[in-house]
Amino acid sequence: MAAGTSTFVVISPNGKRLLTLFFGLFLIFLYLPTVLLVIFSFNDSTVAAFPLSGFTMEWYSRAFYDDQVRKSLLASLQVALISAFFATLLALLAAYPLARRRVWGRGVLSALLLVPLVVPTVVLGVALLLLFQRGLIPLGLGLPSIMVGHTIIAFPFALLILLPRIAGVDRRLEEAAQDLGASGLQTFRLVLLPLIFPSIISAYLIAFVFSIDEVVIASFLSSAQVTYPVYLYSGLKFAEKTQSLIPVASLLIVISFILVIIAEVIRRYGDRRAVGQ
Amino acid sequence: MAAVAEKNPPGKAPPKKERRGARESSAQTNQWSTWALLLPTLIVIAAFFLLPLYYIFMFSVALRRFSPTEALAALNGELEGPTGDLWGRLVSNDVVVRFFGTELAVPAILIGVVLAVLLVLAVTGSRIRNAGSWVVGISFALLLAPFLMLPAGNNLLRLVQFTSEGQQLNLFFKSVSMAMTSSVIAVLIALPIAYFLAFCVQRTKYVWLLIVIAPFLTSYLLRIFAWKVILGDQGLINSGLMSLRVISEPLTFLIYSQFTVIIVLTYAWVPFICLPIFLSLETMDRRLLEAAMDLGASRWQAFFRITLPIAAPGIIAAFLFVFIPSIGEYITPTLVGGVEGTMFGQSLAAQFVGGSFNWQYGSAMALFLLGVVLFITFATARFLRAGGGSVST
Repeated sequence: MAAGTSTFVVISPNGKRLLTLFFGLFLIFLYLPTVLLVIFSFNDSTVAAFPLSGFTMEWYSRAFYDDQVRKSLLASLQVALISAFFATLLALLAAYPLARRRVWGRGVLSALLLVPLVVPTVVLGVALLLLFQRGLIPLGLGLPSIMVGHTIIAFPFALLILLPRIAGVDRRLEEAAQDLGASGLQTFRLVLLPLIFPSIISAYLIAFVFSIDEVVIASFLSSAQVTYPVYLYSGLKFAEKTQSLIPVASLLIVISFILVIIAEVIRRYGDRRAVGQ
Repeated sequence: MAAVAEKNPPGKAPPKKERRGARESSAQTNQWSTWALLLPTLIVIAAFFLLPLYYIFMFSVALRRFSPTEALAALNGELEGPTGDLWGRLVSNDVVVRFFGTELAVPAILIGVVLAVLLVLAVTGSRIRNAGSWVVGISFALLLAPFLMLPAGNNLLRLVQFTSEGQQLNLFFKSVSMAMTSSVIAVLIALPIAYFLAFCVQRTKYVWLLIVIAPFLTSYLLRIFAWKVILGDQGLINSGLMSLRVISEPLTFLIYSQFTVIIVLTYAWVPFICLPIFLSLETMDRRLLEAAMDLGASRWQAFFRITLPIAAPGIIAAFLFVFIPSIGEYITPTLVGGVEGTMFGQSLAAQFVGGSFNWQYGSAMALFLLGVVLFITFATARFLRAGGGSVST
């Protein structure tokens, strides 16, 4: 990938060893908290502290039967599924013209569409609160409002994934299809869509993982039923609740980690298919 | 290629038009379908992103909370202020308009109209060369507008209140310095990591890159939670050190302090920063280094005089990617900051959900934060594009 690749080595052997050591330490440091969480989830003690007290599955079973936990997980799932869908859909609708057609004011438009990335989530959460409570769109608080908020924030991520991918598809493929008589819609459906499909999946997964974990906007816009991160967040403020929250938390981390890996693999696979065609 | 609009029913043969070059043909006739595609997204963004921000703006200048006599006195210029009598005559209590359910001052509406016109101009594609400078200007106007619109005076203009009270502003600067500290440390840690991945690993580098980045994409909240476990009074560090008899009492500065917030923020962001730095190192032309060393440079010289300058935009971009969101950080200080490590975002949120319902004041704070963030973002936009941009526009 580097321009003018050479295998020229620019670092001394000692330097290499030092860097490798640093990298190793860094990885340990990076994954330690997660590993600890998983360890403590099996810990037979009400306090998440060392020394470890013994192995137990009790925390998991307790969490499994906890009504609140289940409801909030379900709420999070709903919000994530739907907001990721809309974020991806909107990104797809916007990415195609931006990548393929000449659009007036394209620079400003792209900048505008990506601005939600820089706006602090606190500000957006507060702003949506104002809009839904006292403003023109009286959606009120609750899961639908959270879905809207998550869609807005996840949308730029999806756009950033889809836009380069669509732009990277060889135009000649579409031109060939249209030379052969396909309409625009057919071209999209039969030529472009299969090529970018992995990226669509990837964008969806990223938006999904993002929404599952988002807490700021969710906490501002929740009413009776909270999403899981908000439940976790409010629970974390009380020390005695900490241990009971660990099992689900560690499970979620592992699951979202797997999802991220899958998303990346799919994206990689899609890249190879589209480019190596 | 025949000019085909997407509204043609599928399967129908395209009209027999003269075949034109691919680049020119569709552009003109397909403007409708192009905008039709963009419209849903634009509507959603306008309704659920621009409109709420507009509300923040309006709420921060709404006059509702003041007694009529007070407001009238101020607006008629009886109180001192930068705007003096002119605005006072323009705006009186009678001319307050009911707009979206909130009473607003006329100048506020005027500014809103101007912004809307600018937006429309931009979207319809006038020859505004540098969109970035427009946004810088607009965000600057956002910051200044409330000062210019209404007379200053005690308790009358919330932004003035906000800046003159000192407390919130101090908190803001403290947040900025905490954000800057953690961003700098994060960059310093990420640089060797990115360097390692770009130069020391040949075949599996993208796998390792994914391993480094994946934690960032999974559950921010839960990882902060894990840090509470590690740094707490009975957490990993303290219980470990105590059982080794190094210390007899838990270290107090570890948790619920500024130190904690900085550590956790750094930890949270380092994986994210690795990516842009890695990309700029990776795409660097290695032959430059080879040439330098052929000309007699030592390894360190090559690094400082070639690698670093080339990677600089990526590094600066990475720093900005982390610094800008960190200013308004809210979750981390709440969970691990305690009293000493509070940040601006918390105070802002407290105006809305803390039970005080001080929405107008909170809006002014939000406006301020937004203005600062937008200003920094678009003033440094060239770094962000150069170092991190992957969007082909």
